[in-house]
Amino acid sequence: MSEPPIDLVASFMDDYFAESEEHLASVRRSLLVLEPYIDGGDLPSSTVEELFRSFHSLKGISAMVELRAAERLAHEMETCLGAIRDRRVVLTSPAYDALVEGTNLLDHVVAARRTGDAIPAIEQQIARMSSAFAAAAADLRLASGVKAAGARPETRWKVTFTPSPELVARGVKVDTVRSRLSDIGRIESVSPSVTAGGGIAFDFVVAAPDDKALRALSGDGIVFELMPADPAGSIGDMSALAPRAIDAAPVEANFVRVDLSRLDDLMRLVGDLVVSRARLEAGLLRVERFLPSAEWRRLQQEAESIERQLRDLREGVMRVRLVPVAKIFRRMPFVVRDLARDSDKRVQLETFGQATEIDKFLIERMMDPILHLVRNAVSHGIETPEERAAAGKRPEGTIRLTASTIGESVTLEITDDGRGMDAAAIARRGRAAGIDMPPGELDPRALLDVICAPGFSTRDEADRVSGRGVGMSVVRETVHELGGTLHVDTAVGRGTTFRAVLPLTLAITDALIVHVGDRTFAVPQSAVREVAEVDTQALRAIENNELMTHRGAAVPVIRLSQLFALNAAPLSRMHVLVIGTGQAAVGILVDRISGQREIVVKTLRDPLVKVAGVSGATELGDGRLVLILDVGGLTRSLRHRGPRIREAV
Amino acid sequence: MHTILIVDDSPTIRRMVRGSLATLPDTTFVEAVSGLQAIEALAVGPVRMVILDLNMPDMHGLDVLRFVRSHSHYRDVPVLVLTTRGDAASRDAVMQAGASSYMTKPFVPAALASAVSDLLAAARTPSTPAPSSRT
Repeated sequence: MSEPPIDLVASFMDDYFAESEEHLASVRRSLLVLEPYIDGGDLPSSTVEELFRSFHSLKGISAMVELRAAERLAHEMETCLGAIRDRRVVLTSPAYDALVEGTNLLDHVVAARRTGDAIPAIEQQIARMSSAFAAAAADLRLASGVKAAGARPETRWKVTFTPSPELVARGVKVDTVRSRLSDIGRIESVSPSVTAGGGIAFDFVVAAPDDKALRALSGDGIVFELMPADPAGSIGDMSALAPRAIDAAPVEANFVRVDLSRLDDLMRLVGDLVVSRARLEAGLLRVERFLPSAEWRRLQQEAESIERQLRDLREGVMRVRLVPVAKIFRRMPFVVRDLARDSDKRVQLETFGQATEIDKFLIERMMDPILHLVRNAVSHGIETPEERAAAGKRPEGTIRLTASTIGESVTLEITDDGRGMDAAAIARRGRAAGIDMPPGELDPRALLDVICAPGFSTRDEADRVSGRGVGMSVVRETVHELGGTLHVDTAVGRGTTFRAVLPLTLAITDALIVHVGDRTFAVPQSAVREVAEVDTQALRAIENNELMTHRGAAVPVIRLSQLFALNAAPLSRMHVLVIGTGQAAVGILVDRISGQREIVVKTLRDPLVKVAGVSGATELGDGRLVLILDVGGLTRSLRHRGPRIREAV
Repeated sequence: MHTILIVDDSPTIRRMVRGSLATLPDTTFVEAVSGLQAIEALAVGPVRMVILDLNMPDMHGLDVLRFVRSHSHYRDVPVLVLTTRGDAASRDAVMQAGASSYMTKPFVPAALASAVSDLLAAARTPSTPAPSSRT
C-alpha cells in the first residue's frame, strides 16, 4: 500500500494534535479512576472500555498521520487494555505503572512530532509493558473480574424512541433522549429495533425510582412501559451489545474546536475597537462646546452604551479563551506518583479550585513551571517517611495545589509540608556558586532571587515529565513574562509555598492612568494593591533609597521621575501606588492619578526599545503612545537593596 | 445529489475521509460519531452509502452492520467498512456480516475515493427513510 500524499497529512496535523490531546487527557482521567483497583477489586468496565477505545483511536489517527512510534505504542497499550478488559490479566502495580509510563511516553512522542524534536525511542517501554503484562497474566487467579454495569434497581422501564426527520430537525435525537434519560435514572442498555411498520426505533432499558419523570418525557417520539421482572430476551436480539459506557454519552456535539489564533485575531479586533472608542470619546469632548447641550448629551449617552457593550464583548471573547485550570492539575497526580515511588517517599496530592478558569495561553505557558514546582516539592521538599517520623510528622507528606481568582488576577499556589528551605544553607550554596546576594540572613524575596538565579539550579533535575530541563530561573522568567509575580514562603521543618499571581488576561486590561511631570503612564490595575496619598516631607532617605511608613511598616518607594530622569517639580503631597504585600511591598510615587481606563496592551518586542520598568505601550485614544509600567520589574529593581534598607530601619 | 454517511468517533478521521472524497461529484456528507447516531442518520435519511468504523462507543460497527443488513429497507445500502483492524479473521467477520467493501486505516485517499465511486455506481437504489419513521 502506498503512503497517503504528504499534503493531505500535513493539512490534518492540527486536528491530529487536538484529538490526541483530548484522548491523552481522557486516558489520564481513566487511569486515575483505575488506581484504587490495583491488585484487586472490581474494575469499572466502562472505564476500561473507554481506555481501550482511546488507545484504539490514537492508534488509528497516528497511523493516518504516519507517526509510527505513536501508532506502535498505542497499539501495544490497546493490546494491554484488551487483556484487562477480557479478564486475561489482573491489574498489578507494575502493569499499572507500565500503562502510566506508556501514556507519558506517548504524550512525548506526539509532543516531539509537534515541536519537530527527535521522536523518543519506544522499544524499551514496549518491552517493559510486555513483561509487566506477562507477569500480570500469571497473577490471573487473583483477579476478581471486571465489574458488571451495576446493581439492579427495583423498577426498570423500557423506553422506546422512534426518530423522524421532523424530530431530528427540532433537535430531538437519540443522543438528546439518552442524555435526558440519564438525568432521570440509570440507562442499563440501549439497542436499535425494527418497528412493526418497518421503521427504526431505539429501545432503552432505564432503571428509575418511578415513572413520574418518564411521563413528563413521553411524546416527541418517546413511549415507555414497565419492564417484566425478568428482562432476558425482552429487548430483542440486539441485547447482546448492551451496556457499553452508556452513561458516558458523547457531549461532543456541544463543543466547537477553535484554533487559538482565530481567538487572538478576534481579541485584536476587540482591542482595535477599544482604541477607536477611546478616540470617539476624546472627539466628543472636543466638540462639546460646539453642540447644543441636549444634542451632545444624547451622543454622550450613545458613547457610554457603546462602552458597556464593548466591555461585554471583550468579556465574552475572554470567556471563550478560558479553560479550567484542571487541565494543568490533572497531570500532577502522575508526576507526584512516579517521583514519590522513585524516591521512596509517600506523598498525598490535594488540589483545590480545579474549576478556576484561566486564559488558554496562560495555561499552556504555566504548565512547565507548575510541573517544575511540583517536582521540586516532591524531590526537595517532602522528606522520606523515616525523616518525617523522626520529626514527629505523619509519614505521608502533603502537596497542595490551589488555584483561585481575585478580581483580575489568578493565583496558583504550590504548598508542601516538607522540610522547608534552610536560608543559611542556600546562602552558602549561592555564594559558592558565585551568585551576587545581600549580606546577612536572606529574607523570602532574596531567597527567591538566589534559588531563581541561573546557575543555582542543578542539571540533575531534568524534567521527567516534559523531557525538558526547566529551572527555577525559567519558572520566574515565565511568570514575569506573563505579567505576574512569584513569591515564596518557607519555614524550616514546616514546608514551603510558592505563589504565582498572574493577570487573568493579557491583551486588554484595566489600568490606572498616572502622571509624572508632563509624562503619562499606565499602571495595570491588577498589580496595584492600594492607592494612598503621602506627605513627601515624611519620607526618610536611607543610603540611596527612600522609605515611607505605610500601615505601620517601612515600605521602600520608587520615584518615577528619578527612574526615567524626568523633569518634575517637587511636590509636598504625592500619590503612592502600593504594589505587593508584606515584605514584598513597594510604593511607586506619582504626581497625580487622572483615572482608570481600559487599555490595549502592545508588548514591546524589539530588544532595542526594551526599557527596564516598561512592559509595553498603549494608546489612550488621543493618538499619543503611553508607556505601561512593568510593575514586577520595578519592584525587582529594589530587591538587592531591600534587605539592607529594612535592616537600617 | 446523494448523501454519504461517515461513521467514525474520531473527528480527524471523519475530516480525512471527507477530504479524500471531496472530488466526488454531487455528493453531500452526514457524519455520525457512534453506532446509535449512525442508525438514527439512516432512519431519517436518505443515505446513499455508509462508510463505517468498527470500534465505536455504545454500539460496535459490526453490530451496526448486522442491524442494517437485517432491515429490509436498508439491506441494499452499500457499506464500506473502514477500520484499523487488519487481520484476516476480522476481515472475514466483516464480510460475513454483509459489508460491501473493506478497507484498513491508514487508507490511501485516492483508493478510498475509487472504492466509493465503484460502490455508488453499482448500488441500485438509494435508501429513503422507512415509512414508520415519519410518524
